[in-house]
Amino acid sequence: MLFATAWRNLWRQPTRTGLSLLSMAFAAALLVFMLSFQLGVYDTMKANALRIFDGFAQIQPPGYADDPDVRKTIAAPDQLASRATEIAGVTAAAPRATSYVILANGELSYGAAIEGVEPDQERHVSTLAATVHQGRYLRQDDADAIVLGDALARNLKVSLGDNVTLLGSAIDGTIAADSLKLVGIFHTGINQLDRQIAEMPLGRFRQTFAMGDKANVIALAGPTLAAVNAALPALASLARTKGLTVEDWGVLQPALKQAITLDFSTSMLWYVSLVVVVVFIILNTLLMSVLERTREFGMLLAIGMRSGLIGRMLWIELVLLAVIGNAIGIAIGAAFALWFGQYGIAFGAIEGLMAQWGLPGRLYPTLSLTSALAGPVVIVLSVAFAGLIPFRRIRRLEPVVAMGVA
Amino acid sequence: MTDNATANQAHSRRIDLRLLAVLAALCLIGVAIGTPDVAVAADATALLRVAFDNWRAKSSETTLTMTIHRPSWERHLTMTAWTHGDNEALVRFTAPAKDAGNATLKLRNQTWIYNPKLNQVVKLPASMLAQSWMGSDFSYNDLSKAEDVLTEYTHKIIDTATSGGHTVYTIEAIPKPGAPVVWGKQEAKVRDDGIFVEEIFFDQDMKPVRKMTTDKIAPLGGRAYPVVLTMRPTNKPGQWTRINTTSGKFNIALPAYIFTQSNLQNPRD
Repeated sequence: MLFATAWRNLWRQPTRTGLSLLSMAFAAALLVFMLSFQLGVYDTMKANALRIFDGFAQIQPPGYADDPDVRKTIAAPDQLASRATEIAGVTAAAPRATSYVILANGELSYGAAIEGVEPDQERHVSTLAATVHQGRYLRQDDADAIVLGDALARNLKVSLGDNVTLLGSAIDGTIAADSLKLVGIFHTGINQLDRQIAEMPLGRFRQTFAMGDKANVIALAGPTLAAVNAALPALASLARTKGLTVEDWGVLQPALKQAITLDFSTSMLWYVSLVVVVVFIILNTLLMSVLERTREFGMLLAIGMRSGLIGRMLWIELVLLAVIGNAIGIAIGAAFALWFGQYGIAFGAIEGLMAQWGLPGRLYPTLSLTSALAGPVVIVLSVAFAGLIPFRRIRRLEPVVAMGVA
Repeated sequence: MTDNATANQAHSRRIDLRLLAVLAALCLIGVAIGTPDVAVAADATALLRVAFDNWRAKSSETTLTMTIHRPSWERHLTMTAWTHGDNEALVRFTAPAKDAGNATLKLRNQTWIYNPKLNQVVKLPASMLAQSWMGSDFSYNDLSKAEDVLTEYTHKIIDTATSGGHTVYTIEAIPKPGAPVVWGKQEAKVRDDGIFVEEIFFDQDMKPVRKMTTDKIAPLGGRAYPVVLTMRPTNKPGQWTRINTTSGKFNIALPAYIFTQSNLQNPRD
């Protein structure tokens, strides 16, 4: 009864209701789309940045993330890697060894991180192999091969087939020295990787660095970052049995995590302002209509309707308005998010900037339950809460006086 | 020809980077040399200068052993080191066989490394200066920037104490504004006869990062000398590197070819 009355009241003023609906629908649609876009971009950033090299998570010796030392090792890494891939959500696991070394060509020498990798497993964890644009990536049967980032190769003035000298510090304290043949040059677009990373076969790395059959980390991959994140607890308990730890994407890409947190908190300010503005607009309309309908309320009081009931009726009107407006907004926002999720939004002009984060020139919003509902739910709740304000006014109404109002 | 080859082999076996580190460390510590009672006025800079001169003299040729200690293992290396003035140093490792032949040459602020397996001289890139030298607790910086504490820092005596009949000055060295240095601060204890007793290295946050102590002062090459030095990183308990100078000649005439890249790769003597 109350609900029906409220519904009918809404449509007594179709223009005003329509405008209120529109403003709420617009705000909700904006929130849904923006949030979908933002979360989608974050997902892309994380996935792309991690997929190039780090992997979605890594099994590491304790303390390795803070102080990556070639002497902090994982024993029997192959066995551990195959056990990790048995966990749901993990599709590939690649043992790696890493050390910071001098790479030299004649008079030229540069510091670089050399990675010992198993080419077959590595391809499933890192997309670096696909960015080789000169020569080829490492093969399982390679012995003395090395691949370099293009900036590093340029600095060293080496081209395919040239020898690269490696000088570092082996695990047993002796000098690790090796001479490797350049078979491939990669370009990931990420400056740090192209300038600092070199890869060689893990077997050769182990000989050169007197490493036995150990590795430093095991890089993990899955169908999505979320799938690997969901597998983290199982991975952590597996790692614990060997006295190791699992590090998630935030530890592997701390700068990215900070950038995302910063970006999200800034945009949060915008979202909150948007919600506040919308809620005030609706509240303003509501108060106006209460003022306008004083006569009507006076009459309702005179025929015996309790003021509390009138307040509830008004509140229901308002919540109806909010729910309908936001439902429309979700529909519009979701439609846009889905459409652009399919076709992407081109960002040609700042492509170079975005490449730093491993982002492509075209970005895709991702519609999720969170991005679709978070904004609208906040609007509806705020409106529902603000809708309590008119109660006070209605309680003060005297039937006779109210009916006398023009 | 044959002679040459034999000499080369013998020599390359003796090159070792570790020596350099040791030398560098020694330099820093400022080993004492025998001019006791230099009547050092309490002038901090002069005191450091004397310590440096006592330690390295005009030129030196020393034999050293280096012990690298880790919680799970320990290594011993032997090396020979030559220095000339502040700017020239050569270190060659002679034992064990695995390390013999490696050598480091420092000329002014540039450092080259020779590795016998590669039979190649590699110039040390600037980005590698902070890396460990031969797996020890010394870095290449200790070698290539050894005299920075003299030239790039301002010095002040902050404490004076008496120990074993000697006055020991504690000198605080603060980098000059804009100086390209590694440390936030250094604190050196120097005896009145110009022997380094202790040196503490602070990072940019003024937290102590590592500490080098003189464990034994004994006569060497006609002077009092800090023959045993130990470097300990503060955040890694159970880890240290000790350098023991077993013999030394000072202020000797050294042929100029010693400090050349060609001698680094193909030792002549």
